[in-house]
Amino acid sequence: MQQMKVEEKEKEKKPKFQMNDHIDILIEVLKRLDGPSLGVAACVCRLWCTLTRSDSLWEHLCFRHVSSPPPSSVRPVVVALGGYKRLYMVCVRPVLSRLRNSHSELVWTRDEVQLSLSLFCVDYYERRLGGGATSASSLMFLCNPVNV
Amino acid sequence: MSPYESATSAGSSSGSSSAYSSTKPADIDGLLAGAGYKVRSSDLRHVAQRLERLETAMVNSPVELSQLASSDTVHYNPSDIGSWVDSLLSEFNHTPSLPSDLPDLPGIVVGPGISPTVINEADATWMDHDAPQQQQQSAQSLGIPPNQLTVVTAMEEDSGIRLVHLLMTCAESVQRGEFSLAGSLIDDMQSLLRRVNTTCGIGKVAGYFIDALSRRIFTPQASGLFGGSGSASAYENELLYHHFYEACPYLKFAHFTANQAILEAFDGHDCVHVIDFNLMHGLQWPALIQALALRPGGPPLLRLTGIGPPSPDGRDSLREIGLRLAELARSVNVRFAFRGVAAQRLEDVKPWMLQVNSKEAVAVNSILQLHRLLGSDPNRSPPIEIVLGWIRQLNPKIMTVIEHEANHNQPGFMDRFTESLYYYSTMFDSLEACTLQPEKALAEIYIQREICNVVSCEGSARLERHEPLAKWRSRLGQAGFRPLHLGSNAFKQASMLLTLFSAEGYCVEENEGCLTLGWHSRPLISASAWQAVPDANSPLGIVNHHHNNHNAL
Repeated sequence: MQQMKVEEKEKEKKPKFQMNDHIDILIEVLKRLDGPSLGVAACVCRLWCTLTRSDSLWEHLCFRHVSSPPPSSVRPVVVALGGYKRLYMVCVRPVLSRLRNSHSELVWTRDEVQLSLSLFCVDYYERRLGGGATSASSLMFLCNPVNV
Repeated sequence: MSPYESATSAGSSSGSSSAYSSTKPADIDGLLAGAGYKVRSSDLRHVAQRLERLETAMVNSPVELSQLASSDTVHYNPSDIGSWVDSLLSEFNHTPSLPSDLPDLPGIVVGPGISPTVINEADATWMDHDAPQQQQQSAQSLGIPPNQLTVVTAMEEDSGIRLVHLLMTCAESVQRGEFSLAGSLIDDMQSLLRRVNTTCGIGKVAGYFIDALSRRIFTPQASGLFGGSGSASAYENELLYHHFYEACPYLKFAHFTANQAILEAFDGHDCVHVIDFNLMHGLQWPALIQALALRPGGPPLLRLTGIGPPSPDGRDSLREIGLRLAELARSVNVRFAFRGVAAQRLEDVKPWMLQVNSKEAVAVNSILQLHRLLGSDPNRSPPIEIVLGWIRQLNPKIMTVIEHEANHNQPGFMDRFTESLYYYSTMFDSLEACTLQPEKALAEIYIQREICNVVSCEGSARLERHEPLAKWRSRLGQAGFRPLHLGSNAFKQASMLLTLFSAEGYCVEENEGCLTLGWHSRPLISASAWQAVPDANSPLGIVNHHHNNHNAL
C-alpha cells in the first residue's frame, strides 16, 4: 500500500508533457502535416489556430516536395500575390492532385511550380480586375472533376 | 470513314465526311468513292440503318463471328455496301430485310411520339428471332418498349444527317445565287431543327449555321453587325472574349506559349518592350510579369504597349487595364510602364505611335489578329503587307503569332462553309466538357459571332479570314521573317496546362517548331514564333539573338 502511494505521488510530481507549452515542437509537428490535416489542426484550439495561420507553415507545405528549394525571390512575390496559404489552396493542391493522379510520387518539378505560380498570378490579377461582370473564375477549372 | 460511322456519329458534332457529299441524288457519293465504296448519295441513309441493324444483330447474335467466314453466303462486290450488308444480315436474320421504305413513312419522322401502328409493322422484322435479351430488358427497365427505343435513336441521328445535307445544299444554292431555293431550304431546316436536340451536338452547331446563312440570304446589309467598324461594342467584345478565355483552354494555351517564347527571347536584356496587338483585359501579361520578376538576375524594365479599339463612352479602358497591370507589377517589384494605343483597326496603327526606342528588346504579340488584315481592297496595298512591313522595321527579338488553324479564307463560298462547319463543330464539341456557366454560354456566343462573320459577311466586313499554319509560314517567310522554334519548355508547359483542364480530348502537337492545340487530333489553334531576317541594306546590321532554353526560376 505504501509503495503504491509513493508511486502515485511520484507520478503526480512528474510534469505532464503539455504540447502547447512547447510551441517550437508543435510547429515542427505541424510542418509535417498535409493540407487537410493542417485544416483540421486549425480547429483544435486558439493557439493551434493562430499557429496554422502562419504563412511559413504553408510555404513549407507548398515546397516540401520540390526537388530543389525555390530561390529567395519567390517569397516576396507570393506574399504580394496573396500568400502561401492561398497559393496552396487555390493552385498547388489542385495542380498536384490533377497532375499526380494515382501516382504517389511526391517530388514535383520546377515546371509545375512555375505553372502554379503563373496561375496564381493570373488569379490575383483577375480578383483585382473584377468588381465588374467577370468573376475571378480563371482557376475554377481546377476545381472541376476530371471528366474521363 | 465508313458509312457505318456516318450513321452513329451524327450525334457527335465532328460530323461525317460522307454526309458532306455532292447533293445530286443520282450520283455516287464522291467521298466514299474515294475510299473504294460505291453508294448512291440517296441511299446513304438506308445503308447506314442497315449497318446499324447489322451491328445490333452481330453483337447480340449467338452465332460466332468466326462462323461468318466459313458461311455459305457468297459476298459479291463489297464496294456496293448496301447489298453487301444485306447479304451479311441474311446470315443473322432469316427474314427478308426490313422494307427500306420504313424511314420514308411520314409517321416515323416525327420525333419520339411514334404511332404504335407503325411500330407493330416494324416489330416483326426489326427485332428478329435472335432478339437481344439484354436490350429488351434494359429497355423495359426504362419503361419504354424496346423497339420504340431503337427506332427513336435512329430517327434522331437521321435528322442530324438530314440537317447537314440541307445545310450543304443551302450553301451551294447560295453560292449559285439561287436565293429563293436557299430561302425555302432555310425554312425546311428550321422546322427540322424543332425535332432535333439543339442543346448539344449537331443540333446546336446546325442552329448557328442556319442562323448565319439566313442572315446572309435575308439581311446582307445588317450582317455588318458582326464585322467591320462600329459594330458590337468594345465592352461586349471584351466580355465575350473573357468568357471564352475561361470556358476553354485555347486562349490560355496561346498566352502561356507566347509568354514562354517571349521570356526566352528576353533573356539577358534589361529593357524590354512588349507590343500587344489586342490588349482586351490584359490577361496574358500577369504571368509574364511574374515570370520576369522571378527570373535569375532580376526583372528588367518592362514596357507594355497595348493596342485596342477606342472606348465610345469616354471610359479609357486601355488605361484602366494599364493601371491594373502596373499595380500588379509594382507589388512584385517589376519596373513597368504602360502605353495604350487606341485604334479601330490594326492597319490604322503607325509605328511612330509605339515609340520604340533602339536600346530595348521588342516583342510583338499577335493573338488572333493578323488574319483580320487579309481582306484586300483593290485600291490600296494589302493591309497585311503594310503591317508586316513596319513590324519588320521595328526588328523585334520575337514576334509571336497565334492563329486559328483553319482555312476560312478561300474564294469559294462553299469551300469556306464546309470547312467552317467542320471546324466549329469540333470546337463546340470541345466546349461540351465545360460546366462553368455563364462562361460556357457566353463563350458560345463569342464563337457564334465568328461563325456569322465567316458565313454571312463579305468584303471589308468579313474580318475572320482564318488561314492555316502552312499559309502563314509562306506568307511570313515572304515578308522577311524566319521561324523561331518553340522549345520543349513551351511544349511541356502546354501539356501540363492541358492536363489541368477537365476534359480529356485536347491534344498539343508540335509541328515543325510550332505548337498546335486541338480536339481529338484536329488542330484548332496554332502558335508560332518569328524573327525578322536582317535586311542586308538596312543600317541595323546583324541581328544578334541568343536563344536560350531557360526556365523562369
